[in-house]
Amino acid sequence: MNLFFFLMSILYGILKFLHIDFVPFTSHGYPIGLWIAYLIVAVVEVILVFILAMLVVVILIYVFRKYMADVQNRIGPNRLGPWGSLQLIADVFKLIQKQDIIPTAADKTAYRVAPYLVFTPVVIGFMIIPFGNVSLLNLMVINFNYTILFLVATMIISPVGEIIGGLSSHNKYGMLGALRAAAQDMSYEVPMLISLISVIILAGSFNAQDIVIAQRHIPFVVPEFLGFIIFFLAVLGKQVFPPFDLPESASELVSGYSTEYSGMRYGIFYMGGFAGTALASLVIATIYFGGWEGPIFPGTIWLIIKAGVFMLIFLLIQVSVFRVRVDQFLDMGWKYLLPLSIVNLFISVGFALFAGGVF
Amino acid sequence: MIRSHLRKRRGIEMQDKIVEVNFGPQHPSTHGVLRVKVKLDGEVIVDAQPVIGYLHRNAEKLSEMGYYPKAQIYVDRLDYAAALNMELGFVLSAEKLMDIQVPDRALWIRMMMVELNRIASHFIWLGTHGLDMGMLSPFFYCFREREKIFRILDEITGSRLLYNYFAIGGVYSDVTPKSLEMIKTWLSDFDKNLTEIENIFKKSYIYVARTKGTGKLSLDDTISYGVTGPMLRAAGKKWDLRKNKPYLHYDQINFDVPSQQAGDVYARMLVRIEEMHQSARIVAQVLDKLPAGDFYNKKYSKPMLVRIKATGESYIPTESPKGEFGIYLVGDGSAIPYRFRIRSPSFANLSAAPAMLIGYKIADMTATLSSMDPVFGEVDR
Repeated sequence: MNLFFFLMSILYGILKFLHIDFVPFTSHGYPIGLWIAYLIVAVVEVILVFILAMLVVVILIYVFRKYMADVQNRIGPNRLGPWGSLQLIADVFKLIQKQDIIPTAADKTAYRVAPYLVFTPVVIGFMIIPFGNVSLLNLMVINFNYTILFLVATMIISPVGEIIGGLSSHNKYGMLGALRAAAQDMSYEVPMLISLISVIILAGSFNAQDIVIAQRHIPFVVPEFLGFIIFFLAVLGKQVFPPFDLPESASELVSGYSTEYSGMRYGIFYMGGFAGTALASLVIATIYFGGWEGPIFPGTIWLIIKAGVFMLIFLLIQVSVFRVRVDQFLDMGWKYLLPLSIVNLFISVGFALFAGGVF
Repeated sequence: MIRSHLRKRRGIEMQDKIVEVNFGPQHPSTHGVLRVKVKLDGEVIVDAQPVIGYLHRNAEKLSEMGYYPKAQIYVDRLDYAAALNMELGFVLSAEKLMDIQVPDRALWIRMMMVELNRIASHFIWLGTHGLDMGMLSPFFYCFREREKIFRILDEITGSRLLYNYFAIGGVYSDVTPKSLEMIKTWLSDFDKNLTEIENIFKKSYIYVARTKGTGKLSLDDTISYGVTGPMLRAAGKKWDLRKNKPYLHYDQINFDVPSQQAGDVYARMLVRIEEMHQSARIVAQVLDKLPAGDFYNKKYSKPMLVRIKATGESYIPTESPKGEFGIYLVGDGSAIPYRFRIRSPSFANLSAAPAMLIGYKIADMTATLSSMDPVFGEVDR
């Protein structure tokens, strides 16, 4: 049973108990209590997911700063709160206080919308992650048959936000960053989707929960190791993090698409990047490492452990690599990842045909 | 060489649809205030024109307005990353012009200090080079190692960046046993620490793939542009003024001149890192050979120096971390230099920038510019 319908039915029961329930208009429609329950639960869950995403981002940024400082023989934030843990909150307040500068020649509407286009889809993506299974209750915000397709659809929106942000800010570095974002987007997205399709073929379902349950014996990283590598590299390209931080490469294009952004708008770009990393780690843990499946501990803890390991791996990569050149990234995407992902697709079709019973 | 000729040689045509970008002077990776007018065809650079002069301080004319020893503080501020090397070029030239003898101990101390400062300068280069290639971490490692050198220089000279330590006729203060002990401790693990940092570069697949064949400058071009220093040695010419035209006591010391054939960014990295190892070797030998005696010429105290009236001209080329550095002095029989001409290596090296940039990608631009190691105090002077 889904968490959404669980909460909704409880609320509907309360409403019925309070006699706030009648069938408006026709005798065939839904009762209005159901509508109210649906609406309230939807709003509450969206808020919950937003809080969850922000919490993950706050923790991730703090860990990242401390970790990066540790790698680089520094101390990192250590003034505000215990071990500098309140530094991020101070930073957010500073960013909010800053003057909101919009370039005169910028396309104002597009310029304002762009950061949210990067950040919001990532938060929406958190909704389909199955966080565990308490007896018969699925801990996920929304559950329907095509959640992975929904995830893909949200993942594709955020690079569009980068492109719009770069092009609308009327800055040559911004434009170059936007063009790079477009080129990079196309070269990682196709292999990423094909390796996702391989997983879907093996699991026999588009549903994230079904994919997790299909891995109860063997996690998909075993039959899909090639696909995992491809997906991992593609996700690295999707997060504009080193070594693939080409669209905002600080030393070449000043800041790429976010050159003109300052204050909280820049902060939203920044948080979007970290939220994306958290989401990517959760997705990798879910579709390749069995999600919440695991012995002894409850499922949620297993998911947090698995995703946490990947977040740390992302951070480790970020502090220890140089940046690749644009043409090298495009080469990697089109010449290696794409053919290999097609090979991987055939391999998983073979698995599904001849060893389907195992999974 | 004109830039249209460079385009023809690389097989690039100037299209109509180009984007002109001002790379600098306010840009995170121009190492100061370089401005490059770049024309881009997509990601490919079709035209690059360095514009300089944003840090012009009139050092030459200011130096011609005071007594000879006064010029030294301006010289300090030319290549602020290697101030002692700059001072050396000045004091050698001035001593030749004034015909002043320098005690042996001072010469050896100078040699040691110059090599220490060369290593510090190369550490700045290595760190910022990593930064320009998109990796933050080596920057901190390099500055950590540079800090150790600064502690030593601080102990000996009393300041950390701009020393004003060499004097005409010697050095301002003697090295103490404590500072020599500090150098010995530093030397004991220097090679190990540097190897650790250089492996970040050498063993990185991405770094090698990005820098091999990038920013190439052939030996002929190198010589015709007047490029000197590590860039010349990376292009295949074993030319080091410390070996070829020895000054101080470099002829009494064993060290190798590293050189590479490729002339690209990767070769320059290899040459500079090997130079750091060799500089440490020189420092170790100086420690063994340091003679006792005076550290300055007792005949020429500072009040004496401003009264010296010099005639004639002098120029002693020295090997600074960036290349051939020297100061051409002309004396007209007064206590003030008649002409104070600075031969600065970064300026000559920077003139070769179009030849190294046109035809490459904009991402290579930061790699190439940082591989030239320009310091703008010296370019604009």
